[in-house]
Amino acid sequence: MSEPSRTVVDALEPWPDTVAWRPVSPKLIIVELIGLGAWIAFLVAGLSVGWVIGGQSWWPIAIAAVVLLGVWRAVIEARAVGAWGYAERDKDLLVRHGLLVRHLSIVPYARMQYVDVTAGPLERAFGLATVQLHTAAAASDARIPGLPPDEASRLRDRLTALGEDRAEGL
Amino acid sequence: MAAAPGDAPGEPPPAAAAGLESRQRLHPLSPLLNGAKSIVVIIAALSWQTYGQLGAAHFAIVVAVLAVGVVIFSAVGWWNTGYHVVGRELRIAEGLVWRRNRAIPLDRLQAVELRRPLLAQLTGLAELRLEVVGGGKTEAPLAYLTVREAAILRERLLALSGRTPAPHPGATTADPAAHAAAPPAEAPLYRVRNQDLLISQLLTPQALFLPVGIAWVSTQFLMEGSWTFIGIASTVTAMAGVLLQPIRRVLQDWNFRAAHDQDRRLVLHYGLLETRNQVVPLHRVQTVRVIWPLLWRRKRWLNLRLDIAGYSGPEPGDDKSSDRLMPVGDIGTARALVAAVLPGVDLATLATSPPPARARWLHPFALRFHGAGLTPDVFVSRWGRVTRELSMVPYARLQSVRVVQGPLQRRLGLATVYADTAGGRAGIARDRDLAEAWALAEQLAVRARQARGLTTAPPATGPATPPPVPVASASPPAPVPPGAVAPGAIAPAGWYPPSGPGAPDDEAYWQRPSPS
Repeated sequence: MSEPSRTVVDALEPWPDTVAWRPVSPKLIIVELIGLGAWIAFLVAGLSVGWVIGGQSWWPIAIAAVVLLGVWRAVIEARAVGAWGYAERDKDLLVRHGLLVRHLSIVPYARMQYVDVTAGPLERAFGLATVQLHTAAAASDARIPGLPPDEASRLRDRLTALGEDRAEGL
Repeated sequence: MAAAPGDAPGEPPPAAAAGLESRQRLHPLSPLLNGAKSIVVIIAALSWQTYGQLGAAHFAIVVAVLAVGVVIFSAVGWWNTGYHVVGRELRIAEGLVWRRNRAIPLDRLQAVELRRPLLAQLTGLAELRLEVVGGGKTEAPLAYLTVREAAILRERLLALSGRTPAPHPGATTADPAAHAAAPPAEAPLYRVRNQDLLISQLLTPQALFLPVGIAWVSTQFLMEGSWTFIGIASTVTAMAGVLLQPIRRVLQDWNFRAAHDQDRRLVLHYGLLETRNQVVPLHRVQTVRVIWPLLWRRKRWLNLRLDIAGYSGPEPGDDKSSDRLMPVGDIGTARALVAAVLPGVDLATLATSPPPARARWLHPFALRFHGAGLTPDVFVSRWGRVTRELSMVPYARLQSVRVVQGPLQRRLGLATVYADTAGGRAGIARDRDLAEAWALAEQLAVRARQARGLTTAPPATGPATPPPVPVASASPPAPVPPGAVAPGAIAPAGWYPPSGPGAPDDEAYWQRPSPS
């Protein structure tokens, strides 16, 4: 009989005694930042063109705002990568993510319908891949980005093996 | 047989299929029935304007030519469409130019529906619709078969879809005719009184606003004196879309009957112009929802809905989807039906506990109507101030569990737990205390695992067995915390602490922490 409020400290750390969370690769930060940087550059370029053409004084303010927003997002995203984590338990996979809105998914291996391993061009350049586990429920949200390829394929093989072991209908 | 032109490509090698069964055609009248639908569309498309330009005789000729064309087109389609059962698969081949062969594994079959639109009723035909997981829409409607054929095929498909291999192995070949010769004995469960149905649909916002709408429109016209045909037509169609919904519902739910068949599957019959006859194996029920609309409250009526994985997700206009379990009824009927669909669940004893009092910041008015609870068989959650709803998710149907905490919830130390099912709807415990949310998620995962283990381990028992009960705690139910259950239609009769092997031993999670 433990006191519940003591066992749980952080929304991202449930069951700290029994679950060993594995982080995703920190290289994901770079990938995310490049993506963000591209967006910011695009927006800033558009606004600069507007400034050159229009010439009103509020264009630079907008540019500054976009840059500030970008810096803020960069900080958030860098921290959010640290929030991603996954854990393989006996019977289910745990995935957590998000800083502002925190998510934790518990997906039993037996419910797995299929596994996706994807890697975009940026991710590939940094040697990363995303593993996503799909169940019959569309809402199930078990996506793990930023895995090194060998870890991704290990996870995929393990998931499919476990899924086959415990396969069943709905 | 049925050497349709261009039969060869894409067809499974005949050696595999030939030993079992030949391909069967749909009923020869189907092209006419399918054509009839298109003819209505054509006439509507030609519109009055064309009628005015062409004159009656020419118009009739144009329609006749188009109608013949449509029927010939459907006939060609019919000639090239066939179905047959191979092993535990239903194969459907269709198309002349784009051929499509579709194999439906029957162990994935969720429900089978036999629909008879008005024309089909007149000609004694029926459409057989199979619900399979993953289909955005109903896969493979077989339109049309004779009622007898459809019933036989349905029995056979359902027998094949059972978790056990068909009880009589001969069934794969020719046996099912004997099986279906005697109409399946059904034990009736419930039948809606059409009078109640009418009253219940009069007690909907649309029906109540109908006089207001009519009054408004007519005064509008009287004031302006503009009685143009277009104006009236557009207003009427605009209003009809919304306001006729109660009428459509009455037509659809007319004569609603629920029954158990001899294999204890759920059988639903309903409809006036289009009758539907739905067979749902009980282990395919993903969620049962109970809804108390505001206007029905004085009558103490409620509404039961059923989520099955094949019927895709929440649709806005849910007239088309077949998710009714009880269109209208009182709590006693609902209890009986719920007990029949989810054996071992008593609607009147589902205890839920409310979120902690500090969640009031998020739900200033509706807090006391929110609640969630773990009972031996189902995860219960309830919400809604105006329209009260309650959903029951059997643990064995859980796909995944999620805990989500938004920024406001984090400030208050709350979190929301989602229990996802394949039906597209989730059981949601909103704004629980964070520690409780973790415990709830853990409990759901553990119980889902146990329930799954029990449903899969003895494969021979089939859907007739009651869903697994995680060994209920021997301890007497703890007293209900004060104010634990909203004073709705459901009175708590017991309070179930989390129980069963593997449950964390601290029941303290369930005693509500005193508000800090």
